[in-house]
Amino acid sequence: MNETIKMIVVLSLICGLSGFTLATLKDATNDKIEEQVLTYVQGPAISDVLVGYDNSPVKDRKKFDIPGTDQQVTVFPALKDGKLFGVALETFAKGYGGNVGVMVGFNIDGANLSGIGVTTMKETPGIGSRVAKQGFTSQFSGHPAKVELSSKGGDINGIAGATISSTASVEAVKQAINIFGQIKPQLAAAWTKGS
Amino acid sequence: MSRLWKEFSKGLWTDLPPFKIVLGLCPVLAVTKTADNGFGMGLAVIFVLTLSNVFVSAVRKIIPAKVRIACFIVIAASLVVAVELLMQAYAYPLYQQLGIFVPLIVVNCIILGRAEAFASKNTVLLSAADGFGMGVGFTMSLTFLGGLRELFGYGTLFGSQIMPESFKPFSFMIEAPGAFVCLGIVLAAMNAFTNRQRRKKGLAVLDNPTHDCKTCGICGH
Amino acid sequence: MKEFFLLFVSAIFVNNIVLAQYLGNCPFIGTSKKISVAVGMGSAVVFVATMAASITWAVQEYLLDPLGLQYLQTLTFILVIAALVQFVEMFLKKAVPPLYKALGIFLPLITTNCAIMGIAIICQREDFTFGKTVAFSFASGLGFMMALIVLSAIREKIEISRVPKAMQGTPIALIMAGLMSLAFFAFKGMI
Repeated sequence: MNETIKMIVVLSLICGLSGFTLATLKDATNDKIEEQVLTYVQGPAISDVLVGYDNSPVKDRKKFDIPGTDQQVTVFPALKDGKLFGVALETFAKGYGGNVGVMVGFNIDGANLSGIGVTTMKETPGIGSRVAKQGFTSQFSGHPAKVELSSKGGDINGIAGATISSTASVEAVKQAINIFGQIKPQLAAAWTKGS
Repeated sequence: MSRLWKEFSKGLWTDLPPFKIVLGLCPVLAVTKTADNGFGMGLAVIFVLTLSNVFVSAVRKIIPAKVRIACFIVIAASLVVAVELLMQAYAYPLYQQLGIFVPLIVVNCIILGRAEAFASKNTVLLSAADGFGMGVGFTMSLTFLGGLRELFGYGTLFGSQIMPESFKPFSFMIEAPGAFVCLGIVLAAMNAFTNRQRRKKGLAVLDNPTHDCKTCGICGH
Repeated sequence: MKEFFLLFVSAIFVNNIVLAQYLGNCPFIGTSKKISVAVGMGSAVVFVATMAASITWAVQEYLLDPLGLQYLQTLTFILVIAALVQFVEMFLKKAVPPLYKALGIFLPLITTNCAIMGIAIICQREDFTFGKTVAFSFASGLGFMMALIVLSAIREKIEISRVPKAMQGTPIALIMAGLMSLAFFAFKGMI
């Protein structure tokens, strides 16, 4: 009996101690990890969709509340000489093999998209994954902020044989346009000099 | 002091893992596409192995024999989670490169094998020396194997071009078959070298070190 | 249905867990000296891998994700697997003695078999549904078993041929495994 109690005490002591240490470590590294993930996962997509900035969009990112919902969106700004000229934000839509994440870049002055890049993607290799390739995404560069697949009367050509993946990407872009429209009034004031 | 040095240095040559003690083959094969990856994996293993030896040795007197293995697993797994967090925070590209082999350090026989075979019977200081030595040996082996495969597979070493322009890389070396064959040849070369040394000294040639789970000691198989 | 079939074939042949994904190499080299041992080890892996992947899937879905404790995945999975192996051993001993006789000695080995933990983690990283997790882990286990049996058949033949002293044992087994892996490369074009 004594042995059993000792066993339980020692085991739970070790588990508790390691759990406590790990929780502390997790807290300590949380911000750093978030920044690293953004730099290495979203970073390449951001530099694809925004050009000519001289700041670090990942470092200068800010969170905005989406009006009318309780959700938040992270916005990556592109600044030149301290002046905001474009932003990028990431949205998700359901694809064939899971979520398709799309980074969408906007020009702040006009109503044009500056480009899109696919961030996360688990589509069938070779078919659905072609939405990540240049041919599909380049259609969005400089496109007016109103997108629709050509099969539905728009001018974006989907990928043959990958209707679900194409639709998902376009859905994600539409979502991003919608969010951008809602938070646009807040944007200009967010990255003025000195903030 | 000399005892400390002895425990440390045995991991560097006489018991060099994974060539002399054939243990923990999965990361050896999987992450040695380049010397960088092999080295990074080695560092992670040094961290986990040294600290797990220290902790296991520190608590060896209070752990009841029945839950010994469970305690070792908790200690090793906590250290692996710590490595995962630290890697994500400070070396994210390496973390992506090594993929699932970072969490899988916990099931690497070296960790539990050293805990059971050494740390649970020796003092903290000696266990630290043993774990650190084994870890350094493992890192050397992984870096060597990674360098070899990178040199022939990409024509580079630690990312810088070594082979002349005219060299055509064999992609065989960086794929799975190359990993197996390369490790097999390195092991054979090590055996041949050891046998020659022993013959020179007039000693009888030993059987090759085999991979069996006895070396691990955990399962008693 | 087609999706499941593809997943199955891919897990057994194209992305074979040992020969293409580098998982479970220790038992692959360690227990492939005899065909009878290989069959036992292989079946134990199929059995435990399927159960472990299913249970860890549930743990992730209903415990770690809701609590935001994803970073403890490694710790939780290894404990679940270790406990599962213990439990399976006790259960088989009591309830199905013939099966315990066949698989019993391999079960303790399985806790440190990285194929089991590896399959469970792959299912999480690929975001598989429960059905896919079961299919994938079962097929991967079968792939492991097949590779193990084929290698042990080759090694039984090598045993009676003359191999240079330095190559005997593990080195020649690794080179054979390399050649098998090269042969399996041919399946890459299939899917």
